[in-house]
Amino acid sequence: MSLRRLLLRLPRYLGVSGSPRRLWWSPFLDTISSVGSWRGQSSRSPAHWNQVVSEAEKIVGYPTSFMSLRCLLSDELSNIAMQVRKLVGTQHPLLTTARGLVHESRHNLQLRGLVVLLISKAAGPSSMNASCQNYDMVSGIYSCQRSLAEITELIHTALLVHRGIVNLSELQSSDGPLKDMQFGNKIAILSGDFLLANACNGLALLQNTKVVELLASALMDLVQGVYHENSTSAKENHITEDIGISTWKEQTFLSHGALLAKSCQAAMELAKHDADVQDMAFQYGKHMAMSHKINSDLQPFIKEKTSDSITFNLNSAPVVLHQEFLGRDLWIKQIREAQEKGRLDYAKVGEALWLVLGVVAWESNTRSFFRYGWMIHQGKALEGLMWVVKCCSPEVTCIVRNSWTRTCPLAPPSL
Amino acid sequence: MASCRWPWRRCCSWRPAARSPGPGSPGRTGPPGPPAAADGGVQMSYFNLVKSLTSAFSNRYSMSRFHHTTSAACCCSKTRSGEKYIDPFKLGWRDLKDLYEDIRKELVISTTELKEMSEYYFDGKGKAFRPIIVVLMARACNIHHNNSRDVQADQRSIALIAEMIHTASLVHDDVIDDASSRRGKHTVNKIWGEKKAVLAGDLILSAASIALARIGNTTVVSILTQVIEDLVRGEFLQLGSKENENERFAHYLEKTFKKTASLIANSCKAVSVLGCPDPAVHEIAYQYGKNVGIAFQLIDDVLDFTSCSDRMGKPTSADLKLGLATGPVLFACQQFPEMNAMIMRRFSLPGDVDRAQQYVLQSDGVQQTTYLAQRYCHEAVREISKLRPSPERDALIQLSEIVLTRDK
Repeated sequence: MSLRRLLLRLPRYLGVSGSPRRLWWSPFLDTISSVGSWRGQSSRSPAHWNQVVSEAEKIVGYPTSFMSLRCLLSDELSNIAMQVRKLVGTQHPLLTTARGLVHESRHNLQLRGLVVLLISKAAGPSSMNASCQNYDMVSGIYSCQRSLAEITELIHTALLVHRGIVNLSELQSSDGPLKDMQFGNKIAILSGDFLLANACNGLALLQNTKVVELLASALMDLVQGVYHENSTSAKENHITEDIGISTWKEQTFLSHGALLAKSCQAAMELAKHDADVQDMAFQYGKHMAMSHKINSDLQPFIKEKTSDSITFNLNSAPVVLHQEFLGRDLWIKQIREAQEKGRLDYAKVGEALWLVLGVVAWESNTRSFFRYGWMIHQGKALEGLMWVVKCCSPEVTCIVRNSWTRTCPLAPPSL
Repeated sequence: MASCRWPWRRCCSWRPAARSPGPGSPGRTGPPGPPAAADGGVQMSYFNLVKSLTSAFSNRYSMSRFHHTTSAACCCSKTRSGEKYIDPFKLGWRDLKDLYEDIRKELVISTTELKEMSEYYFDGKGKAFRPIIVVLMARACNIHHNNSRDVQADQRSIALIAEMIHTASLVHDDVIDDASSRRGKHTVNKIWGEKKAVLAGDLILSAASIALARIGNTTVVSILTQVIEDLVRGEFLQLGSKENENERFAHYLEKTFKKTASLIANSCKAVSVLGCPDPAVHEIAYQYGKNVGIAFQLIDDVLDFTSCSDRMGKPTSADLKLGLATGPVLFACQQFPEMNAMIMRRFSLPGDVDRAQQYVLQSDGVQQTTYLAQRYCHEAVREISKLRPSPERDALIQLSEIVLTRDK
């Protein structure tokens, strides 16, 4: 109960700034609960998203794009930067990753860290922790929780970098000289390891072994998830593995959900919240990340059908669902039909995907996939959202309900 | 190659007499000073290290003279006179039964291939040098503290974790160096490819971190986290090279500490923290591990020149081929300044590797490096002798000698 009372202070805090609460929270909450689903809609352009993130950053009082600044200032990183420069002009994927990181940070997209900060702020200090209440708290977030947010980003980035290693034996002449690729691998491993070492260091400084264990196990999950992703995307013959949506969920949890879920839980542990709150935070992080993944999987199908160069991952949620719906044999037949000279005609598969689902109109396509995607997680996602609701004031509850209706065309949960 | 091993390495006759190290001698790692607090200890000793490394260089000339004129007697044997011979490996293994099985239990992985990759080096064929030191140190500290004849489960976990961190770094190093064989088998990257090998390394590291966290001691977590950082920084040091000869040697020893000795030193410290509250004992454990670790790596670098690949299970002259100038090369460079250019270009011209190897074998670089290793071992023995006598303590003394005489 007292947690709830503490959390009621949140909107009051927002009110102090003088800006209308709805403006502050509304875009933020719906973006957070359905990140990336708005691309292509004019009112929810990337510019809008940036604005939302910067609003969210104001809430947490911390520009997330500077999150890793401390480690950026080190000698090792400037060393890396110098070495990466040598790679310019080669085909090594590390360059793409680096470019992505620079680009991402310029657009304030350190989403994981931001969510950790937001949930920390939403939960506030624990009632059990009354003795050291407000101790080293800035904008309602403990400094250790801020470190944790940074660590979450470091782990995510490290794996992103390690993901970009190339297999030297599989190189083709178009990949450029072997030496360049060897060097690129070397730098990729070192920089990834460097980020991981920084994360470990930061974890040790938190002086909480439960948090260390949580984040270490998140790293383990993430590595296994990346392994699955690599091995499925490496398959050339376009025959997807026979996985159902439940396996898809397990694997996606490892590759996308675990880090955020466990970081959210760890943020609660750092504020000495009890097991129930920790579990809710875990569920929130998990379903948040899963929804994010489902939404990004949906993108190729939602985009305007302007070109025929549509491609999509055959292990993405809609395809896996489609395969499950269709049955393995029919699906393989469909894939074979769409294959021409070893290349897969994605438009054809995409077409079949729509047809089977018996949806013709573009708008309803979008909707039916949305519905499908959301239905997978409906039960659990609800739990996550419910928790936010529980933590927030009636005004925020109302906004959550609105965002829910907008995200999911199904009836909103009774709040 | 005419012989696999240098005969002189086996006999100890040329070794210098036991002599307490002078103020600037390489074995000495700076004044013991006030016992550093657990947190500051790591940084503190790092400083001392650099200090001692620089002095190691300046003393090089006197050292080499010294080693030619001194007579026989092993610096280590004195301390264990009267003790019955202890095989440290036998003694250590008593606590390490099922070591590899237990490590495999930590690797809870559902995917068959990923599990196979992660377990690849935990096949029971490694020397388990680090776990042995760790359990011996644990027992030595426990006995020193309250005459306890037990080793705690947490202390044993440190042995597992040390081996896991070591293996994770091996897997990544092999990708970085594009190595194709280790311990007489193909490397993970050669079998499964670089992409997967890197993930296997990360996975082992994460499993080690989980095991570490479960011990539930924040000091121990901090101590072993330092190792992970040192390993990465060591790898970075290896990327660069210094033009200045003075700096080059210090750079080499610093790299040696970070890449090899830090793991041994800090895991020794971790078990001492678990076994005994006295900071002085923590420092002894740390110093022993650090000195033995540096000696271990120095000998490793010597073996890269003197052993043949069958014995080592990995190709020799590997360091030169990677462009790295290790101890023997740096010493040889004193006698053959023409090697400087080769070092600077990282032995990249055709024939450089062979010529460098010839120079090293003609010079006394190998002896000098071995001598330096000996000084470090001597220091290690001096440190560990401060603990109350026990079979384990004596085994650690014995072990420091094995480090010097090992041929693989």
